[in-house]
Order: sequence, then C-alpha cells, then structure tokens
Amino acid sequence: MFKRVLIANRGEIALRVQRTCRELGIETVAVYSEADRNALHVREADAAVCIGPGPALESYLVIEKIIDAAKRTGAQAVHPGYGFLSENARFAQACVDAGIAFIGPPASAMQAMGDKVSARRLMEEAGVPLVPGANDIDADDLDTARREADRIGYPLLVKAAAGGGGRGIRLVESSEGLEAAMRAAGSEARSAFGDAAIFLEKYVSPARHIEVQVMADSHGNVRAFGERECSIQRRHQKLVEEAPSVAVTPELREQLCDAAVAAAKSCGYQNAGTVEFLMDRDGNFYFLEMNARLQVEHPVTELVYGVDLVALQLAIAAGKPLATAEAPLEPRGWAIECRINGEDPYSNFAPSVGLVEFVQQPMGPGVRFDTMLFDGVDVPVFYDSLLGKLIVWAETRELAVKRMKRALSDLIVAGIQTNAPFHLALMDHPDYATGNVSTSWLESEFTMPQPPEDDPRERWALVAAGIGASLVAAGSEGPATQPDAGRWQRAARARSVGMRVDGGGIRGWRRGIGSS
Amino acid sequence: MATRHRFQLEGQPRNVVVDEAGGALRVAVDDGDPVLVDATLSGVPGLISMIVDGEPRRAYISRRGQGFAVTVEGRTFVLQPASSARGRGAVGGATDPPGQISAPLAGVVVEVRAAAGTQVKTGDTVVVIEAMKMQNEVQAREGGTITAVHCTEGGRVEKGDLIVEYESAP
Repeated sequence: MFKRVLIANRGEIALRVQRTCRELGIETVAVYSEADRNALHVREADAAVCIGPGPALESYLVIEKIIDAAKRTGAQAVHPGYGFLSENARFAQACVDAGIAFIGPPASAMQAMGDKVSARRLMEEAGVPLVPGANDIDADDLDTARREADRIGYPLLVKAAAGGGGRGIRLVESSEGLEAAMRAAGSEARSAFGDAAIFLEKYVSPARHIEVQVMADSHGNVRAFGERECSIQRRHQKLVEEAPSVAVTPELREQLCDAAVAAAKSCGYQNAGTVEFLMDRDGNFYFLEMNARLQVEHPVTELVYGVDLVALQLAIAAGKPLATAEAPLEPRGWAIECRINGEDPYSNFAPSVGLVEFVQQPMGPGVRFDTMLFDGVDVPVFYDSLLGKLIVWAETRELAVKRMKRALSDLIVAGIQTNAPFHLALMDHPDYATGNVSTSWLESEFTMPQPPEDDPRERWALVAAGIGASLVAAGSEGPATQPDAGRWQRAARARSVGMRVDGGGIRGWRRGIGSS
Repeated sequence: MATRHRFQLEGQPRNVVVDEAGGALRVAVDDGDPVLVDATLSGVPGLISMIVDGEPRRAYISRRGQGFAVTVEGRTFVLQPASSARGRGAVGGATDPPGQISAPLAGVVVEVRAAAGTQVKTGDTVVVIEAMKMQNEVQAREGGTITAVHCTEGGRVEKGDLIVEYESAP
C-alpha cells in the first residue's frame, strides 16, 4: 500500500479522501490555493503545498504544479477527487509518466469515455442499451441532421459531443426548432470545448436518472455496487441522491449492473466509475455516459452496501485484486444525500458565499455530514457552491426521509445562506415521499414555498435581536466589577466578539474578549 | 431595566422592548403582548436559546454592521438599527427620593409620555431620553399622579437632573 498520497482537490472531497487515508495509516499531502489557506483539508493533512492563486485555472487545474507538489513531497499516488483534473486524461498520463500512481482509470479509458460519441460506439459494441440517436454530426450539416432527426423522432436533444455538466444541450420539440438548436449547441460547444461536433438523441421523458457504481481492478475483475437515483436536478445539477431507487426491482438491478459491468469492461476500465442511465416509466434504461471518477454522491452507495469506496480505490490503485463476491450484492436499508449548497432558496437560489460565523453540524444515529464547513471558514468565490453533503441512512426510505428532515433542522449555518430550507420543503413534498419523480420534476412541478407573511421565525429573530442588543448595550457601560450587575451585564462582560482578521499575513476569524 | 430597540427589518420599522424582570426577560414585539423569555447566550455573536412557555427556540445572532443578523431555522434576518435610534433603557434614578424622578443619564428628551396630572403605574414609561443613538425609557418606580414635568421634548438633560415630580398613590 502507498505510504503517502497527494489529494489534488479541495473542499469536502479532499477531506473525505483524507479521512480514509488517515484510517489506513497513509500520509496525506494537501494542495491548496491561496484562497483555501484556512481550509480544513489543509489543516488536517500531513503535508501541504500552496499551488497558486484562488482561480482554479491558476491552481487546482495546473497539472505541472500538482505533479511538482507530488514529487517534492514524495507522494507515491495522486487521488484526483471529482471535478478539477479528475477526468483529465492528460493529467492521469502525466502522473504515470512521473512515476506516480493515479488513483483512477487509465488515461485511455478516460479518453474513450470522455468523448460521448466514442463512448456510444463502445456501448453499442458491448450490447449496452443506448438511447436512439445519431452520432458525430457537424453542427453546420443541417441536411444530415434533419434526416437523422426524422428517423429518431421528436422530441430530441441536440448535444455537444465533448459536452458535460449540462452544457451544450438543447431540447428540440419539433422539426422547426432543429436549426436554431444546432446553431446554439454548436457554438456553445465550440466555445466551451473547442469542438463543434454534435449528436442527436431521443428525448426520453419523463425519465429517471439511474446510475450504477462500478469498481474495476487491474486483474480484470469488475463489480457493480447497485444503483443510485439522482433524478432531483436543477439545470442538470444533481441536488438529492439516494440508494437504492424506488423504481428498481431486484431483476432490474441485475440488468442494470450487468450493463454497467459490460460498459466498464468495454473500455478496459479500472478503479471507481459510474455508468449513468436514463430510465423510462416502463423500466427501459439507456446508457447516458460513464463518469470516470468517484462521484459526489458515492456515500449513499457506501451506506447501503457497507463499503468504503475510497479504500477500495486505494487498494485497486496499489494493484490489489477485488474480493470476488459469492453472490450479487444486495442493498441494505436506504440512504439519501442532500447537497448543502451556499445559495439562497428564498431569492431564486442566488449564490451565497463569504464568512461562515457559526456552524452546528447535525449528528446522531444514521447521520453523516461530509463538509468543509467550520466556524470561521471564509467560503471562497472561486469554486462551486457545495459546502457539504448531508447523508442519512435508515432501515426504510420512509424512515430515511424522516431522519433527513431531522438532520436538516439540526443544521445551523450562520453568516451565509444555505439551501437547507429547500431540502426540507422537498422532503415534505408528497411526490418526493412516494418517489414519483423524474429528471424534469423539480423544474416543472416543484416551487420553493416562500416564507409566509407572518413567518413565526421573524418574531423569534426580533426577540433574539432585542435580547442581543440589550446584552451589547449592557456590556458597554458600567465597570466590570460592579457587584450588583444584572445577569445581562455579567453576561455581556464575558461575551466574545467575533471579527474577521485579514492582514499581517493572518487571515481568518477569531473570538476575543473585549468590547465592540 | 426596560430597553426599547428599534430595528429596520426588510424596510419596516420594528420595535422590541426588553425588560429584565427577576432573571427572566419580558420581551414585547411591536406593542404586542410581552412574553416571558428564559434566554441564555454565550455572547454576540453567539447561539441564543430562548424558552417561552416551556418551548425552546434557538437562533444564532451576530453583528452585522450596526445591527444584527439572526438565523432562525434556516432563514437569516438582517436587522438594522432604525435610523433614529437603537435603544437602551435605564431605570429612573434608582436613588431618587420618593416623589422625584431624575435623569439616569445625559441626553436629549425625545418624548414626554406622562404630562402633569397623568396617573401612572409602576413600570410605566414617563420620559424617553436619547443618548448615543439609543433611546432610554425612564420609568416610574411606583404608582401615583404626575404633579410636575421639568423637561421638554427636544430639550437636553444632564444626568441627575430632576425631570419629573409625582405624588405617590395612597
């Protein structure tokens, strides 16, 4: 096993990977941008290397800096986390070329799966069901596109061949909209990915997003760890994930897992990967794409299969074989994950970043909170809005929903706004309770309930502010030793004053004793 | 000690009167009925726990400029001080002889609540004095009838000035 691993990421996933490494006695190397100097993943690592300024393009995305940091600190392997360089074949290859193990798939498999057109071809050969579609059309070739579109049938999606994260996708309801969609998707693809090739795909709707976790070792063994459902999405960004799925029967699970294993084998896949499918109401499923990395939502799989996927990743990267299963794996209980984002559900989910003054983390039975949050962290503006992942496990889905509601209401984050109220409202929605959702459900059916005019919380805020103001006022008058001081004067004297410290090389937040 | 705090919440002026009564706090919002609040907090900023009628509520309170940000059950409210004042109360001269109320602090009289001839009860506010942008309610320590008022609205008073005379109720 490795003695020292560099984690080429930040935020909650850097911490997540670190924790398993530490449990296994593996030393960790953190890399960080100047904006992340105060981050938890820096504090808890065995070594830390600054890799440049805040913008990811100048730090977390610079391959040479990360390879250099690994060499300087003697790291034997690099874990890329998700996002950033995790699916960058050039990075995977650069690690290998530098004699450092890349904890992920080989560059060749990444390339094969990263290009959606080549991935579709591979899947076709491997017998994995595909959404009816047409590959590799030039964005300017309208005649071919029309012919293929008529064959596939409307509605359909125009997608960038090199796309990802929902960019470069256009929905076309009928033939009239095709030309405009191709032009838009083509130009978006050209500017975002430098490649204007597009493909057409039948629009499966309503559809569930079902994905299968696979692990593949370097000895040719591939195992599937069941499905996750990630249908709750906004603008193609997943917000809630769960395992298993209400829509997947044991028979269907077997088919899904077989298809995912075939997909992984078709490209010589190794390490952790996720095969994404769209599934219609009748249980027909179609290959969507393969994500060549550990997913954000991997913990729900860990909880229902009782497995540490990061530990498996490390073992596989170190050349160990996967234990072969005697029987197909069966999920135990139910797990749900809510992505806690820094955004304001009461004002159209506008981003909310900045200084976090206070955090109370949910705890107790069946609750796991993978988070970068702590009192005094200044959430940088440079990265995504994911602050943490609240994950619960319970015996049944119904109990898991209840547990999630409990955990969400235990979470307090002060200083910035989180989307926890959105998740609470979602957990209360009858469609979510029955699992009657699809990938378009959130945007078409769900509206965030706005606080009522006479929100009882407002009154409590006023009461608290009045008490706080009294405390502050009491603390600013009278000598500290005044013997007959009331409770509030005494409390005021001991009050702590939080302040942002920024200067003299120190950045952060501190509590101190003193007057305001 | 009664304290009137004036806040702006989403553009609306809001009033909170906090009164310390034997270890508990009597808090009234916008002239509503006061509630008895058993409150504990570690400071500002800090987590405040409030128990009202046996029901616990909690909030996290921190300074936001001259005002406060209060987070209650996932929603954050920003309360700015009202442009006029943020209040701090004071008991009308604790050492005043019976029949007299003196100014507990120096400031400008912004309101005379009880003109001569008015009947007052214990705890009624008779005069409001503003100092350092805070409004301080001066209250009657016992019931009675106001016989003379020695200050005017807009006028300045010094700490210890005799501002009100009254006749104790029999």
